[in-house]
Amino acid sequence: MKALTFHPDKCIGCKLCHLACSGHNEGQFNPRLARLQVTSCYTRDGLAVSGRTCNLDLACVRACPAGAIAEKKGRLKFNLEACTDCGLCVSVCPNQVIVEKDRGVGVCVQCRTCAGWCPTEALTFEEVSN
Amino acid sequence: MAYTGRILRVNLSSGKAQSEPLNEKWAREYLGGKGLAIKYLYEELKPGLDPLSAANKLVLMTGPLTGTIVPATGKLSVAAKSPATGTILDCSIGGHFAFELKYAGYDAVIIEGKAKQPVILSIAGGKVRLQDAVACWGRGAHETELALQEAMDGFKFLVIGQAGEHLVPMACISSELYRQAGRGGIGAVMGSKNLKAVAVKGGGGVVVPDIRTFMAAINKLRRENTMSDANMWVYTDGTPMIVELTQTTGTLPTRNFQQAVFEDWEKIGSEALKKVRAAKKACFACPLACGNYSRTGRAAVEGPEYETLALCGANCGIGDLEAVIEFNRLCDDCGLDTISAGNTAAFAMEMAEKGIYDFGLRFGDVAGYLKVPALIARREGIGADLALGVRALAEKYGGKEFAMQVKGLEFPGYEPRGSWGMGLAYATADRGACHMRAWPIAVEAFGEMDPFTAEGKAGLVKEMQDDNAAKFSAIFCDFWAVDGETQARILSAALGREVTAAELKKIGERIYNLARLFNQREGFGIKDDTLPARIFNEKLPGGPSEGRLLPREEFVKILAEYYTLRGWDEGGRVTGAKIKELGL
Repeated sequence: MKALTFHPDKCIGCKLCHLACSGHNEGQFNPRLARLQVTSCYTRDGLAVSGRTCNLDLACVRACPAGAIAEKKGRLKFNLEACTDCGLCVSVCPNQVIVEKDRGVGVCVQCRTCAGWCPTEALTFEEVSN
Repeated sequence: MAYTGRILRVNLSSGKAQSEPLNEKWAREYLGGKGLAIKYLYEELKPGLDPLSAANKLVLMTGPLTGTIVPATGKLSVAAKSPATGTILDCSIGGHFAFELKYAGYDAVIIEGKAKQPVILSIAGGKVRLQDAVACWGRGAHETELALQEAMDGFKFLVIGQAGEHLVPMACISSELYRQAGRGGIGAVMGSKNLKAVAVKGGGGVVVPDIRTFMAAINKLRRENTMSDANMWVYTDGTPMIVELTQTTGTLPTRNFQQAVFEDWEKIGSEALKKVRAAKKACFACPLACGNYSRTGRAAVEGPEYETLALCGANCGIGDLEAVIEFNRLCDDCGLDTISAGNTAAFAMEMAEKGIYDFGLRFGDVAGYLKVPALIARREGIGADLALGVRALAEKYGGKEFAMQVKGLEFPGYEPRGSWGMGLAYATADRGACHMRAWPIAVEAFGEMDPFTAEGKAGLVKEMQDDNAAKFSAIFCDFWAVDGETQARILSAALGREVTAAELKKIGERIYNLARLFNQREGFGIKDDTLPARIFNEKLPGGPSEGRLLPREEFVKILAEYYTLRGWDEGGRVTGAKIKELGL
């Protein structure tokens, strides 16, 4: 399967990916609602860049007791009506990119909006092995 | 919506914080950022107050686009009455603080009074706290911010170093170690309030009308306009590219503006910097990523920017890039403006050369030069005098004719004798010698316009000042060459009401006049709109501007024409008719 992939050496830390994701999927610009996590900041050791994206590991699909998250043709589908807000998916996601909302969760649907906004191709869509 | 509609007012004397509605009428008339910050200060500051007293206020102002996906809108305006000049002072700082403040629910923070002992102001989740800062008082800006970053997850910070604590009139405010609100002693205002840091963490978001259409339009604009050839120099080179431009046009300040070409310019130029570039770094929402993270065996810094290369490099006769990088890092850590610090070191070097006073500093001597930032920041040793800045140093020891400053603010890195419009820009900038209010050199020495004529300069500077006043109030970064029409289209889409380019122009003029009114109220006028004698009397000795000066009579002519175009009287005072016309 192909999934979103992050290349730290190319990232400039502009957070346009966070803004694009939240704008497109949540209808507001709010980096904390983004379904990916990219950080670039100075630490005692210099500039530290890191990023986590959904690599379709599918731990959330396996963990969800209500069957609210499913994988279809390489994309996650979330069913709000089935969701019981148990929070299991959030805790098992190895990339910590599932966003808890007041009701339900936000999962990356591989919409690639973030990659479309990335000015430096630090986010691409690549074959992943799980 | 684009504005949160809330302002946070914090009084450090009483320890009380309250949220109040944003003045919507003012927001329409002044947009945000620079303009709105000046409006609040104009209305709230008593004339004649001591800038380092509890009566001064520090305003942190976002803009209507802050927090949206619009490129190059990541800056925050920080404003107060300047301790360096006594004028109005607004600075802008990049990084990620501004967005965080908006997401925390505020368009602005107005900080008043003075805390009894050092504090950190923290803003998050609707809660405002004053935390004890005794432990970090006395520490550098870097150590302070890194420690806060480790202790307070998800917060963004504004901090001061020792220079701000010691009320040095060239103290800056820092964020993310290497981004600064640099000029006019804004960091000393923070220090005078016993405020070591401001920490903010947001949680909310920003909404615009029809967000998907908005995003599609902005993404197209980002690709076709922001990231077009006109702006990509920011990414490929950043401001160091200007070293070559000033060198080849005879406008690179060298050895305290005694020369305008530097024999070692290539050693501190963009190509040399690219060799030590470790990464590119952007402000929030900016695809242009002007930041160059430079790393050598000994030193690392995000920078140096052009102004630092010019004033701490060529202007000090230093052609050793690693030394300039280290000087830059020291200034950032101590919380000093590199423009003023570089000028002050260079002035001291020339004082020694001329036998006026010997601080032990010499052009080209790296060892002495690298001691300067820490000494100034703590007012220790020679730093006790150097911390005064160029104007006060000259008043104390002499050398006024080559004290390169206007209204007490040291010169930026462009030689006015090689680009006459810059002379007018420095003389009439609202905060003293500043290159960001108008940058006419772009069309004079770097462009097609004759740099050595009075003709056309008054109009050019006025238009640029008004345009930039509006641009920095909508808060678009200087580095995106975005025209008024495009700005108006973006603002209209984000605000859900029509904003026109003509309206922006008017807003810019209104802001520039309000800043002038502030300064007029403080006693500033034509006597202060001038330049150091060197510019009028000393011919440049070599390079493309050889033999050039800016004759005083030509300058007087340009200034008079400028006042006329502004609709001010012959003494440079804003007239009643202009006040009425602009609705001031």
